[in-house]
Amino acid sequence: MKEKLDDLLRKALGELAASSSDDALQEIRVRYLGKKGELTAIMKGLGGVPAEDRPALGQAVNTLKDRIEEEYKSKLSVIRDVKKAEKLRSERIDVTLPGRRRSIGTKHPITLVTEEITEIFAGLGFQVAEGPEIELDFYNFEALNIPKDHPARDMQDSFYINENILLRTHTSPVQIRTMLKHAPPIRIIAPGTVYRCDSDATHSPMFHQVEGLLVDKGISFGDLKGILTIFVNQYFGKGTGVRLRPSFFPFTEPSAEVDIACVMCKGNGCRICKNTGWLEILGAGMVDPEVFRHVKYDSEANTGFAFGMGIERIAMLKYGIKDMRLLFENDMRFLNQF
Amino acid sequence: MKVTYNWLKDFVDFDLSPDKLADLLTMLGLEVEGMESLGGGMDDVVVAVVEEKAQHPNADKLSLCRVNDGGQILSVVCGAQNFKSGDKVALARIGAVLPGDFKIKRSKIRGEESFGMLCSEKELGLADDSEGIMVLPDELPLGIPLFDALGLKDTVFEIGLTPNRADCLSVIGIAREIAAKLGKKVGYPGHGVVEGTKEIHGVASVEIADPDMCPRYTARLITGCTIGASPAWLVNRLCAVGMRSINNVVDITNYVLMEYGHPLHAFDFDFLSGGKIVVRKAADGECFKTLDGQERSLQSSDLTIRDGGKAVALAGIMGGENSEVTGTTRNILLESAYFEPSTIRRTAKRLGLRTEASHRFERGADVNILVKALDRAATLIADLAGGTVARGIIDVHPKKTEPVTIRFRQERAEKILGVSLPLEEVVRHFHHLEFSCEIQEPGVLAVTVPSFRVDIEREIDLIEELARLVGYEKVPVTMPKVRIFSDRPTAHQKLEKKVKELLVAHGLSEVINYSFISAASFDKILLAEGDYRRDCLKILNPLTDEQGVMRTTMLPGLLETAARNASFRNLDLQIFEMRRVYLPRKGSELPEEPLFVSGFITGGRFPEGWNQAKEEIDFYDLKGIVENIYSELGIDAVGYASSDVDCFYHPGKACSLYLGENRIGSLGEIHPTVQENYGLEKPGYYFEMDFEKLVAAGTELVSAVTPSRFPDTFRDIAMLVKDDMDAETVLETIRQTKIRELKGVELFDLYKGANIPEGEKSLAVRVRYLSYEKTLADDEINAMHRKVIDNLTKKLGVTIR
Repeated sequence: MKEKLDDLLRKALGELAASSSDDALQEIRVRYLGKKGELTAIMKGLGGVPAEDRPALGQAVNTLKDRIEEEYKSKLSVIRDVKKAEKLRSERIDVTLPGRRRSIGTKHPITLVTEEITEIFAGLGFQVAEGPEIELDFYNFEALNIPKDHPARDMQDSFYINENILLRTHTSPVQIRTMLKHAPPIRIIAPGTVYRCDSDATHSPMFHQVEGLLVDKGISFGDLKGILTIFVNQYFGKGTGVRLRPSFFPFTEPSAEVDIACVMCKGNGCRICKNTGWLEILGAGMVDPEVFRHVKYDSEANTGFAFGMGIERIAMLKYGIKDMRLLFENDMRFLNQF
Repeated sequence: MKVTYNWLKDFVDFDLSPDKLADLLTMLGLEVEGMESLGGGMDDVVVAVVEEKAQHPNADKLSLCRVNDGGQILSVVCGAQNFKSGDKVALARIGAVLPGDFKIKRSKIRGEESFGMLCSEKELGLADDSEGIMVLPDELPLGIPLFDALGLKDTVFEIGLTPNRADCLSVIGIAREIAAKLGKKVGYPGHGVVEGTKEIHGVASVEIADPDMCPRYTARLITGCTIGASPAWLVNRLCAVGMRSINNVVDITNYVLMEYGHPLHAFDFDFLSGGKIVVRKAADGECFKTLDGQERSLQSSDLTIRDGGKAVALAGIMGGENSEVTGTTRNILLESAYFEPSTIRRTAKRLGLRTEASHRFERGADVNILVKALDRAATLIADLAGGTVARGIIDVHPKKTEPVTIRFRQERAEKILGVSLPLEEVVRHFHHLEFSCEIQEPGVLAVTVPSFRVDIEREIDLIEELARLVGYEKVPVTMPKVRIFSDRPTAHQKLEKKVKELLVAHGLSEVINYSFISAASFDKILLAEGDYRRDCLKILNPLTDEQGVMRTTMLPGLLETAARNASFRNLDLQIFEMRRVYLPRKGSELPEEPLFVSGFITGGRFPEGWNQAKEEIDFYDLKGIVENIYSELGIDAVGYASSDVDCFYHPGKACSLYLGENRIGSLGEIHPTVQENYGLEKPGYYFEMDFEKLVAAGTELVSAVTPSRFPDTFRDIAMLVKDDMDAETVLETIRQTKIRELKGVELFDLYKGANIPEGEKSLAVRVRYLSYEKTLADDEINAMHRKVIDNLTKKLGVTIR
């Protein structure tokens, strides 16, 4: 009997080892271990074995059964692994083919730059303020110390709706509206659309500005330098040179043009900065007492500064755009880059 | 405004290179916008002397000269005859490059070697035409570059002046700034006029009829002049600052204009009837021919200079043809006057006549410079045109101006600038600016400002002057000490950003169109006569008619953008624009400017690819976007009405958007005619919504719902309904069924065609049931679902399939 079992085991193991498919394995398993299998037959035949031999023989059959089962499982797992590996191999795809994309839109560069600038000033405690684009002469000129006959009106040729109403030529009227509504302290940033009668590669009849205003007790020109230096360093990069030089705006005094070291040549002189090493990016100054008088602020108690910059100018510098008109032609081949 | 380096040096002694000078001026607020160097690259043309002039052995018309260039004797062949031995000449040495890229080389002319060339003015670019070679004045030193010797080597600065600095519209004005910054004195020109014996009084007279417009008028008479060409130095200087030479007298008035910044005018005295000058307003409708040949129609607000009868000049702007200095003029009346800025400005603007003179008068001239400028010009005329200056000067000065004195507080200046300013330093700076100071009390000065600084009127103006002279770069960088207060962005600002980001995520790109559109757009988009959007704001002075009116709808801008992109063969477009429209409102001067969110989509739905077939966008792509805007803003009570569709839409594929009773926008397929009007090949889909109204209706999530711990169960219903029944009616009827566990319904199929009776359509919906208490049993759900179906058939008469 023992020999018979050994033979059976050898035979079963040999068959298992030789088989190469899931089905063949199954068939072997059934043949040996199934209800009608050879081992079952042997178990059934145990009745004819003397009772004292039965436990040992039963044990041997069970061992044999476990052994075959174990071998079967191991072989099955090998075969399945091979098969899986084959399947995986056959399923290889060309990963260099383009993916399935839903298109994503883009924000306009003017929006991107406006948001970025606004964010920097919001971080410094400036609140976003807005005002109408179609404005009364009073807010756009008069209250900003630009009376009717003032030569400064030549600096900004305006689109008129009627004698008293025009498309605002700068975002500065937002200063006036804010100060007329609120008592100091004031800390606002006012992005917006403005208009002037001008159209060429560096001028557009519609363009955008960001205006800033800070009014409180004891604000000085040095503080203006401080805030603008922070802005320039955050927007154009740490260590970017800043230079203020005297200029004139009717609504600030002292007034300054603010230059940064040329972002292209780092101040060495190039075509972009016309070899000066400097790029003019904004105008600023201490709020003129005349402006405070118009909004009924006490100019002895309060001082403040204002600044304004052209968004297009900054976008053009940032992205190397040479013609301002590109920003309003809305050619998707241009806009989709942003 | 142009000035030259050498001209500035006439008045102030400085030791700066042109580059350093440009920096200094820019940092003073006189921005140098451009620099140009004159006479550069001509250093090999030098002053030489002809030691011997001999006949060329092989040519009758040539001479062979021995020329001393200060270092060596050179043999030079010359073709000109207008010189002799001992004359100083301009020698171009071998290697020199003359204008026109003419290189001087060693050459052999008829067998004689020539080591250079004797030059004419034309060859040196100093004249358009010239005869013979240039014979130089004897006093010029040998061997030095000719352009240095003639003072022609110079640097021109183009200065961008701010409108407040009328005092810097002159060489002396800018020299004063340099002197103030460097702490030097300006060397003003001397004014000794050599007068003849004849008196001006009794020959000429001046009367001011309108002293408000002309507070002072001075004049001199110069007789026996010869009008002719100006000397080279005068021509060159004027040319360097961008002025054309006319004749010696006109050039002198221009020269003094540039030097002093004060406009002068020279009249041909013989054409002034009665030798009289009367300063008086023009008569309304009076015609006057200015010396540019233009006939001008004048008004009574214009100031004229007249003689016994007629007008002879438009005061402060331009002279008249009838008294112009010409080649035959002998006697000159020279005017130096002060005119009121607003008068000049008004007239110059109305006539569109801006001259060097009007530019200066309207910004404010210096009332105290009149006689100095007059004397300087009279002297020059006597020198260069050979006339005699009559004895005496006419100075009519009916309205005197007091000098301005301003109270200055040291402490105030320090507070505003944020820098410490010792009083001695302040006084020193003011003195450098030619301001006089008097200490009133400790830390307080009374500062008197010279008449040329018309821009200085207030304490703050003085503070700015100090800041300029101290230097903005010297003010320390500080941070404001401010009171803390905090404000967050408003809901409007937050939601604007949110909606833009949502649209970008949906594949729409932001565009920005001009806020002004063509009035013809309203016809192009088929707006009915009387549509409220035709009531728009018109721009009085648009650049073009295309930009004539303020938009009242976003549609024309987006359609134009689509057309422009189509012209680049970009037919797949998904764009949005979130900007204002401008709607006039009754009872208010200013219009309403609501922010509108709008979008336009056309062409392919997704980018076409190897694994993505081309699908065309339709109405429901657009509607999906609008639905997502609503859901992003937390708005759910929305209405879609197809009853009052805008004219620019396809009448069957569009709707208006409502929030309650409030129409807030619209969406739909563009009307085929509109599509044609803009030349678009494919159907386009457009929406616009009043963002202000959206913000007002928007809600924020206040309490989140905890999901049930039990599963959702779904049951489907397929039904036949009449073709004209809106799907929304079916869905709403289902939602209205009173079952607590019914949590939602979705339409998942719509079918018309084969197997469906004519005039009907098949709808399939999926109903969702959910309990918070237990897992719903099959029979419970079946009972609920039966109720839903019964309700549908009873209320809508649908046929369940």
